Parts: sequence; structure tokens; C-alpha cells
Amino acid sequence: MNKSKSSATFVVTRFEFLRQVKKPSFWASIILIPVMLAAIGFIAFLMNSDTVSKVNQYDEESVIAVSDEANLLPAEAPFLIDGGREAGLNMVKNHEADLFFFIPADFNESKNIEFYHISEGIDIFGSESNAIKVILNQYLSQNIDPAVVTAITGQFSVQNNPLTETGEPSNALGRAIVPLAFLVIFFLFICLFGNRLLMTVVEEKENRISEMILTSVSAKHLIIGKILAMCLLGLIQIASFVLPAITLIIIFRDNAIISQVLSIISLEPLSLILTIVQFSFSILFIIGLCTFIGAISPTAREASQFIAPVIVGSVFPLYFIQAFLVPNPNVMVEFLTYFPLSAPIALMLRSAFGTLTTTQLLIGISEIIILSLLAIRITIRTFVKNAINFNLVLPTFLTKRG
Amino acid sequence: MKNIVEIKHFRMNFGNKTVIRDLSFEVKAGEIFGFLGSNGSGKTTTLRALLGLYTPTSGELLIDGKPYDPEHSNITIGYLPEERGLYRKETVLDTLIYFGKLKGLDDPAEWAMKYLKRVGLVDKAKEKLEKLSGGQQQKIQLGITIMDNPKLLILDEPTKGFDPINRRLLMDIISELHKKGTAVILITHYMDEVERLCDRAILLKNGVAHAYGTISEIKKQFGNKSLDQIFVEVYGGENE
Repeated sequence: MNKSKSSATFVVTRFEFLRQVKKPSFWASIILIPVMLAAIGFIAFLMNSDTVSKVNQYDEESVIAVSDEANLLPAEAPFLIDGGREAGLNMVKNHEADLFFFIPADFNESKNIEFYHISEGIDIFGSESNAIKVILNQYLSQNIDPAVVTAITGQFSVQNNPLTETGEPSNALGRAIVPLAFLVIFFLFICLFGNRLLMTVVEEKENRISEMILTSVSAKHLIIGKILAMCLLGLIQIASFVLPAITLIIIFRDNAIISQVLSIISLEPLSLILTIVQFSFSILFIIGLCTFIGAISPTAREASQFIAPVIVGSVFPLYFIQAFLVPNPNVMVEFLTYFPLSAPIALMLRSAFGTLTTTQLLIGISEIIILSLLAIRITIRTFVKNAINFNLVLPTFLTKRG
Repeated sequence: MKNIVEIKHFRMNFGNKTVIRDLSFEVKAGEIFGFLGSNGSGKTTTLRALLGLYTPTSGELLIDGKPYDPEHSNITIGYLPEERGLYRKETVLDTLIYFGKLKGLDDPAEWAMKYLKRVGLVDKAKEKLEKLSGGQQQKIQLGITIMDNPKLLILDEPTKGFDPINRRLLMDIISELHKKGTAVILITHYMDEVERLCDRAILLKNGVAHAYGTISEIKKQFGNKSLDQIFVEVYGGENE
């Protein structure tokens, strides 16, 4: 008559999964996510106009060099250099110039100006390219006849070519795309599933089912079953916006922007594996935290008071995203990287922006793995102890004195 | 007869408060055992500790010779707790099937329909539990408790809130299980149920056994009074 352990877990998983997918609220959130993502994308696009801050990265002391093979600029212009693209590139590599513009001989046909500078920054929405146009416009206006400037800059596009410190073409954006995609999924998971995770644990206590169910199945299998169900639901949720996105990418793969993005995506096997491990355990950690709150709380109402600080704490690094972009992070970024609550998102940001050494990344991932396993273990123990306590009870290790 | 439950020198403190001081008793396989006491005397605490939901301060609480753990136990247990509820948004049938699967029934759906027919709720199978009356929900809870023909059935005030007809139905079900060899621990404040069903009983007072033995032995100890009279005599002063 005894059920095998894995079978009991599977029974709980199936039950919890089916009862959640039967809820209209679950499907409402499935539909809302792509809409929400589209809205976020639109807002981000609008923020594209935020060129001032980018322009301010370059001050009056920045050295600008221009190679004009189209002979558009007056020969006496002080910033003009000889030697074409190669000479300009060498100046940037040797830090003799901060910015180098190359106007090709076929400019009148292509209307394209190439731009080179050392940058590990990420031109996600083209704001850097827009900033470059402003810089070029301002610089030319200060140095040559405005009428000539107008003639040149009336219609042109900038081909942004960021370089690494060693002068190699930088693909910071390409490397960041996949980790950032995981970060977006993680963020959405927290927002959508935090409360659902709470409810699924609190429900037994709130409805006084704990005693009956805990004589039928162990707390460990009950909690693990619930967690697996939540993971399955999370996969559906993720698929609900990943699949439409992939479909759209396939349909519009010939679009200039999409094909450019696809061409720069960098998928190094090791970093992809580390990203997936980091993402999976981050999800497990958040699940552990949310279920822990559910385990110590007697009712959903009380549990929801605790979930807000957890969510805010988890997404806290996103408020300081600019600080995460710089190659040498400050103390706050270092703190957020290893502080348990903020560690998952902080690590994802830093590994996306390439500001972590491999050792730092491995330490961070190890921390998240340990934290997630610890959170699940504490949750199981707490759930057993508090299953029939209908008041808020913290686990012994949090309340023990001296 | 083999002991299915053994409680030895059980003590339970909650902070500075001692609920059970020193309690020892046994429940034999196949008997119906009355676990009696006034409200707050520690009956439910004892059962929770027996089922591993509380950790005892000291003493041993054994089921089939070892502390109970649903993961490792070979004995089937049905427990109808005093604090009981159900998944209110789920249907009657889904709930019964879920618990049936957890308890290892081969065909929980078939069992559920048979049970619902017996307790007159077959037409409610697809209803959400929150739509059922309190008494109807109690029948579902009882069904969950007995669905795997437990070797040990623990019922904490099972007839609370039942009308006389449903009380009789429940008594019949308990009797049937008893005939099949199930041991029953019955907590109740209805002394007629104890007289009718129980082989032996214990009266718990001030955290210790005040009286313990067969029903006739207990009665003899109190001058052959009825259990109702004994209950009033033992616990009557507590509310004064």
C-alpha cells in the first residue's frame, strides 16, 4: 500500500500543476507577459533619445580624429588625419585619439560614417550611435563652416565600431544578449511566481489541511512536489513569451536590425553553461525563499507582507544598473553581488556586462547553489515544525538566544 | 494482543507551560480505544506528538514499535484531526482522487464514487468543496481518513458538528473498520459513543492518566457510575 517516495512527489506535482493551470489568473498572466514585454520594449525604444548622458561621456578634452576619404571637409580642418582608416585605428589603439570617425570615399552613396572608440559599454538601443551623431555634429560645427556641416550631416548613418583595450573589435553587446535574456526571464519569474509560491505553501495551513496531508505524505515530498509543479508552471510561462519571440525573429529574420542582432550574438559553450547553472539555482533560491516565507506564515495575508521585501531586495541591483555597466565596479556593486538576496540579479548583470572574473563568477555561482539548497532544506524543516502552528513562528535557529 | 501504539513517559512542554507531565498507555491492535479528557487537557497534543507533528519534550511515542514517519512507516494510518479543512477550490472528486493516490490506492476514482454513493454525496462529486455544507465536508474528510483501510485510525472529535443521522453513519463506518481489524483511537466528548464503541479508555487530567483500563474497569473504579457521570465527576470542577 505504501507509495514510493518519488511517486508521492509526482502525485503532489501533478495535483499542484493541474490546479494552477485550471485557474483563469494563470492564463491571464500568460497573455499579459508578451504584452508587458512589448510595452517595456516600447518604453526602452523611447528612452533611446537619452543621448545627453552618453554625449557627456566625452568631454572637451577628448581627442577626435577624422579621416575624410570623401573629401567633404576643408583640408585645413585641425582634426583631419592622413593615412585613412588604418592610421585612425592605430591612434585609437594607442590612446592617441579617443574617437575616430572614418568618412569613406563612397559616402555620397552609402551615407555611412564609421566610428571607432574603445568601449566595453553596450549600445543596446542605439543610444550610443545617436550620441555619436550629436558629438560629430557639435564638433564639426565648432571647427568648420556650419554650411558644410549641414551638407555632411543632413543625412547620414553611423556605423559604431567599439574596440577592446587591445584594439580588437569589441562584442560586449553580443556577449550580453543571452545572459540578459535569462535575467529578464528571472525577473519575470520573481514578479509572477513569488506570490503563487507563497500561496501554494500557505494554503495547507490556512485551510487546515496540514495535519491530514502530513500523515499521508512527508513534508519533504510535499514541498518538493510543490516546487516541481511551480517549475513546470514557470516553464510554461517562459515558453509563453520565448516562443512568440522566436517565431517573430524567424518571420522577420531578414529585417536589418534583427539580422544584425542575430549576427552579433555570442554563444560560448562554457559561459552558456555557467549562465544556465546560475539561472537555474537562482530560480531555486527564490523558490526556496518564497516557500520559506509561506512555511513560517499562518495566512496568505501575513505571508504577502513578507514577500514584498524579498522581491524588492532581489531586484534591487536593477535600480543601479548604470553602476553595473562600468568595468571597475564600486563597493556597493561588490556588496550587492554577494549579498544573498541581491546576488542572483547582481551576478547575472555583471556576468552579462563582463565585469566579473571567472573566479568571482564561480564564487558567486557557488554561493547561490549553497543558498538555494539551504533555503529548500530550511523550508522543509520549517514547514514540518509550523504545519500546525497557526501563528507566525520563526525557525529555532532564528529565535534561539545565547 | 500486540500493541499498535505505545506511549511511554511522554512529557510535553510549550515554553514554560507543561501540557503533559508523564503519560503512558498502550493501544492494542484491533481495539477501539477512547481517549478522553476535558478541553485543553492535552489529547490533541498527544496525538500530534504520536504522529510526529510535535517533538516530545521527553518520552517515547511509538506506532508499530517505532516513532512515526510517513516516509518510512509500513503501517497505514488514518487521521481525522480536530483542526481539519480541505482544498476549498477543488472538486470533491479531485480531492478524493488526490488523497487516494497519495495513500497508494489502485483506483482512487472508483473508490471515491463508491464512498460518495454510500454517504449520499454522489451528486456532489463535481462540486467545489467550498459549495458543500460543513457536515458534507466532514464526510469527505472522513473518506480521506479511511480510504486505505488503515491499520490505525485516529479520530479527533469525529462527530463534532454532525447531526444524529450522520453520527450514526460514522459510528457504522467505524464499526465496520473495527471488524476488519483496524485499531481506533477515538477522542470524543460524547460518552454514549465511548460506551457503545470502545473496548478500553484513558481519562487524561492534569497531564497524567487519571483512569485507564477497560470501560468496565473504569466504571468499577468510580463505583459503577455511567461514563457521563464519571466525566462530570472528574472534570466538573475545572470550569468552576
